[in-house]
Amino acid sequence: MSFLHLPDSPLFKIAKPEDILLAPKPWFVALTLALAFTANLLPLSGFALALRPDFFALVLLYWAIHQPRWIGVGVAWACGLLTDVVEANLFGQHALAYAILGFAAGYFHRRVLRFPLWQQALHVLGLLLIAQAVVLVLRLMSGASLPSAALVLGSFSSALIWPIISALLQWPQRVRSLLD
Amino acid sequence: MQGRVTSLPSEPPRFFKRGPSPIARLTFFGVISLALMFIDARFKTLETVRMAIATVVYPVQQAALIPGQIATSIGEFFDTRAELREENTRLKADLLQASLAQQAHVAARQESERLQKLLQMSQAANIKAQASRVVYLGRDPFSQKAFVERQVTQTFEPGSAVVDERGLLGQLTRVHPLFAEITLITEKDFAVPVKVERTGNRALLYGRGPGLSPELSYVASNVDVKEGDILLTSSIDGLYPANIRVATIASVQRSAENPFAVIKCTPTAGLLSADAVLVLDKPVAPPPRPAADVAKEAPSKKRR
Repeated sequence: MSFLHLPDSPLFKIAKPEDILLAPKPWFVALTLALAFTANLLPLSGFALALRPDFFALVLLYWAIHQPRWIGVGVAWACGLLTDVVEANLFGQHALAYAILGFAAGYFHRRVLRFPLWQQALHVLGLLLIAQAVVLVLRLMSGASLPSAALVLGSFSSALIWPIISALLQWPQRVRSLLD
Repeated sequence: MQGRVTSLPSEPPRFFKRGPSPIARLTFFGVISLALMFIDARFKTLETVRMAIATVVYPVQQAALIPGQIATSIGEFFDTRAELREENTRLKADLLQASLAQQAHVAARQESERLQKLLQMSQAANIKAQASRVVYLGRDPFSQKAFVERQVTQTFEPGSAVVDERGLLGQLTRVHPLFAEITLITEKDFAVPVKVERTGNRALLYGRGPGLSPELSYVASNVDVKEGDILLTSSIDGLYPANIRVATIASVQRSAENPFAVIKCTPTAGLLSADAVLVLDKPVAPPPRPAADVAKEAPSKKRR
């Protein structure tokens, strides 16, 4: 039954805010953002699309909370612009929503990290719902029709996988800290 | 490598230069976003920027398609012989039907051409078509788009009609170097001039948004339309070639207080399932309208 004890190993634990980890490598941050962006482009449609977590926003939020010096409002805004282009919709809607995410993450980052992962996920849920509300209001103002209510499921599934994303993204740092 | 930090100052000391405050940055980027949205919605001058970024990002788009393609090819690998044979038989039967229809069509067209020549009417030109394939569907929940691939040699033109084997899918709205965007006929306020096949009555089919069935607008309650009628393009705006199937009428509601019937329609094309599509060249432009009419007409609001 030794595998049951695996999670006790520091490798599988999320660092507490008072644990000081080595800074992540900039290329790792960039790579994870690029992968999340690609994951958002998976050719889904219909209900699967509504259920799909917004990977890009999640990874962006993670780095904005853990490395607010690197990923802030500006980077988030640029990422949003990229999303707008590939989704071929109104230029600037995701840019604004992601910029707000970046700002909120920077504002709350000390507070959020004090909570256990599942409570962090609740914060993330709130932030993502706000971002979706911003997009919704902007699109309704530009004359789009109301989409199906299933759209909010994306924020819930995103919040659900927040603990997994956090553990994955922190893993290289924890390994390096252990090796030191 | 573990340390304890008991308390952190809420603001960094002034001597660390960190640029403008977060709220200033948010305001700055927020204003830029709103300006971009306004420019994009009103003036459509950002198309070149959009096209440049979209072309750079296209390889990433392609990479995201790989998992789906692998799944499909694995699925195809496990297709049984029986299934393939069945499909083959079905396709052969379809081909036979189509070639019979084609022969009848050729004869009818020749006859029609002869008659038109006799009457000295301008002849309906043959519409050219370019084959393409739907690569993926748009992910915007507010408006439905499909994306088709484009060979560099293909001359796609914004505004061309796109059809699949069952009917009209929509219209090309943006043409990028390697792909093109189709706005589907279910898009909100997307209008297609149609006629009822059975009676020849003309009307406009308006999209209502993703997931909602398009409706025939401004058809008086007493007009002869009924459930199951087929709608064809009427070519009245010179944009779509004539006689392409668009939709079938799903329901007709007439009420005493409404002078117009509420007519819901089901698109015949597989909007979300189409694979192989044809991009039709625009028909020959109709003659310009008389000058007096143009002057009188109020500037119409152009929709995408």
